[in-house]
Amino acid sequence: MTDSIPDPAGVPTGPAAATVVVTGASGWLGQNLVRALAAERERVRCLVPSDDQASPLALISPTVEVVVGDVRDPATADRLFDGVGAEAAVFHAAAVIHPTRSTREFFDVNVGGTQNVLDRARRSGAARFVHVSSNSPFGVNASPDEVFTEDSPYAPYLGYGLSKYEAEQLVQRAHDRGDVPTVMVRAPWFYGPYQPSRLSQFFRTIRRGRFPLVGDGTQRRSMAYTGNLVQGLLRAEVADKAPGNAYWVADARPYELREVLATVRRALAAEGLPTSGPETLRLPRAAARLAEQLDRLAQARGRYLQPLHVLGELNHTIACDVSRARAELGYEPTVELEEGMRASIRWCLDHGEQL
Amino acid sequence: MARTVLITGGSGYFGSILAERALAAGDRVRIFDLNPPQPAAEGADRQEYVAGDVRDLAALRDATEGVDVVLNNVAQVPLAKDRDLFWSVNVAGTANVLVAARDRGVAKVVHTSSSAIFGVPESNPVTEDTPGRPLEAYGRAKLESEHLCHDAAAGGLDVTIVRPRTILGHGRLGIIAVLFEFVAEGAPVYVLGRGENRYQFVHANDLADAVLRASGRDKPSVYNIGATRFGTMRETLGALVDHAGTGSRVRSLPAVPARIGMKALATVGLAPFAPYHWLLYAESLWFDTSKAQDELGWQPQHSNASAVIESYEWFLAHRSALEREGASHHQSPVRLGLLKVLKRLP
Repeated sequence: MTDSIPDPAGVPTGPAAATVVVTGASGWLGQNLVRALAAERERVRCLVPSDDQASPLALISPTVEVVVGDVRDPATADRLFDGVGAEAAVFHAAAVIHPTRSTREFFDVNVGGTQNVLDRARRSGAARFVHVSSNSPFGVNASPDEVFTEDSPYAPYLGYGLSKYEAEQLVQRAHDRGDVPTVMVRAPWFYGPYQPSRLSQFFRTIRRGRFPLVGDGTQRRSMAYTGNLVQGLLRAEVADKAPGNAYWVADARPYELREVLATVRRALAAEGLPTSGPETLRLPRAAARLAEQLDRLAQARGRYLQPLHVLGELNHTIACDVSRARAELGYEPTVELEEGMRASIRWCLDHGEQL
Repeated sequence: MARTVLITGGSGYFGSILAERALAAGDRVRIFDLNPPQPAAEGADRQEYVAGDVRDLAALRDATEGVDVVLNNVAQVPLAKDRDLFWSVNVAGTANVLVAARDRGVAKVVHTSSSAIFGVPESNPVTEDTPGRPLEAYGRAKLESEHLCHDAAAGGLDVTIVRPRTILGHGRLGIIAVLFEFVAEGAPVYVLGRGENRYQFVHANDLADAVLRASGRDKPSVYNIGATRFGTMRETLGALVDHAGTGSRVRSLPAVPARIGMKALATVGLAPFAPYHWLLYAESLWFDTSKAQDELGWQPQHSNASAVIESYEWFLAHRSALEREGASHHQSPVRLGLLKVLKRLP
């Protein structure tokens, strides 16, 4: 399932930890990460939120040890780190991106959960804390030509962005205090196997020509294939230069939104799913701006409405430059959009999703 | 030395038949089920019962101690239309069984899957290489549990998957009881459209034989199991009404309106159908079983017709005593609901 990781050409690295701790292990990214780690490490201690997710993960390998509990709960963190010992690597991937109830969950889980795991990582003497962050603390690019670098200023985008911004602050402070060496990996919109069922809707609407293309579709998005992202995380764990830094990790280049839609339609057809309807369903920018305003109003009242949020964001360029991850982590994205989308589509079909 | 075989779901419809056959073959049988099994007719001293739920990994670990072979038959079937339950029992439950088996060093696991993973196949026959493309929640959960079996096999556990077509045999009720009820009363039975879809059944004894043969063969594999003598839905039901001699006849219902009607009645709780029934009843789905025949030396004794007739005869003999408490979905007759109206049509 995971892609082979090329040698980090010329980038100095230390050894990978024999014992690793993964939060959010049953999530989309977590499943990919655990599968990459399970074969290579002695112990992969995983946190999952419910009993139903424990055994499916434990099956992957006898090296996988699963703890069930809430990332916000200190007693859960104690169990997660029980017997882990010093010099473990921690991958903190647990977060809420689309809350089911209110925007309060963003802060409880993304901020409170991060603090909870950081505390326990410090007390266990962890060798490194790799934090999965996001583009959202940086908002949107000012123009379609701009790309975020590691020097871009914070400008959090709504509730999720603010919560991930606060989490970054916690992680950076923990590093600066000498609590635990940390690395932040900022991932944009990702795609790949083990996607949650709700994401099938993305493929279904594109297949039928019903996915809205806001404006002329030249706004750009950086996207990260899960295999590329896993490679970035594993690099962040071992690269000598990484501690104390943050890195953008995404596919090699940003894609124009119109290219994303066209590529997904091509990928669907190549996997035996002929497309119908218009290639693009054009939507005026004003509609996306309205959605964004409504999203802001709703979130100000603690409400989260996913379709509004997604539509509002589609108007913008959210692009990043992965040069520093290449130079300092030895990160080398190997999968591009069409290949990655085809792998995602195959995975959906193999798991009974109807696209 | 006799093997110790753990049968999960061993008190259920197929599980109990499998337990009976395993005892007859000389195995020591441990049944893991929510409900206690019926007393064994043969080899009762070699059968034991452990009460438990597959959602409970600790209970499964205890039950798997000293076990050589695990036959996993726990399932929430389509009639239990509860999606969360499908998932926690069929998927998480299967994962628990596999983890317990791995941790206890069990030599062989045979997992009973379902032809529901194929939905309505693009072409027939369906082979072991046909990709799973389920159409409803039950099929998706069963497909996911197959993925777990492959994950476990990749980790070194010897797991074989057996996929049965629709199971018949003595004791089989569930949705099939609706049909028998109609036949017994001389009411017409219905096919959707002309009923010329080739629909394959399998007798529970033949399936149990395949599972036991698979349990004795090393290395992970997959086998599709169904009758080798079968015909269209109309032919199978025709053989049944001819045998019954109650004046019951096979009739056609226009497929599209009938499907909509089944779905509507089920949605408002007036008829005992699940999506699997209205999606599959009028479709062709049949397995090529040559792999099981070649590799396991398996040979089914029953045809579609003989399996349905035997099930019907059992239904007649036990009709009055069927409202038993605690039985599984496939061992209990379903409530007819509004279907009673159909039964009274001339």
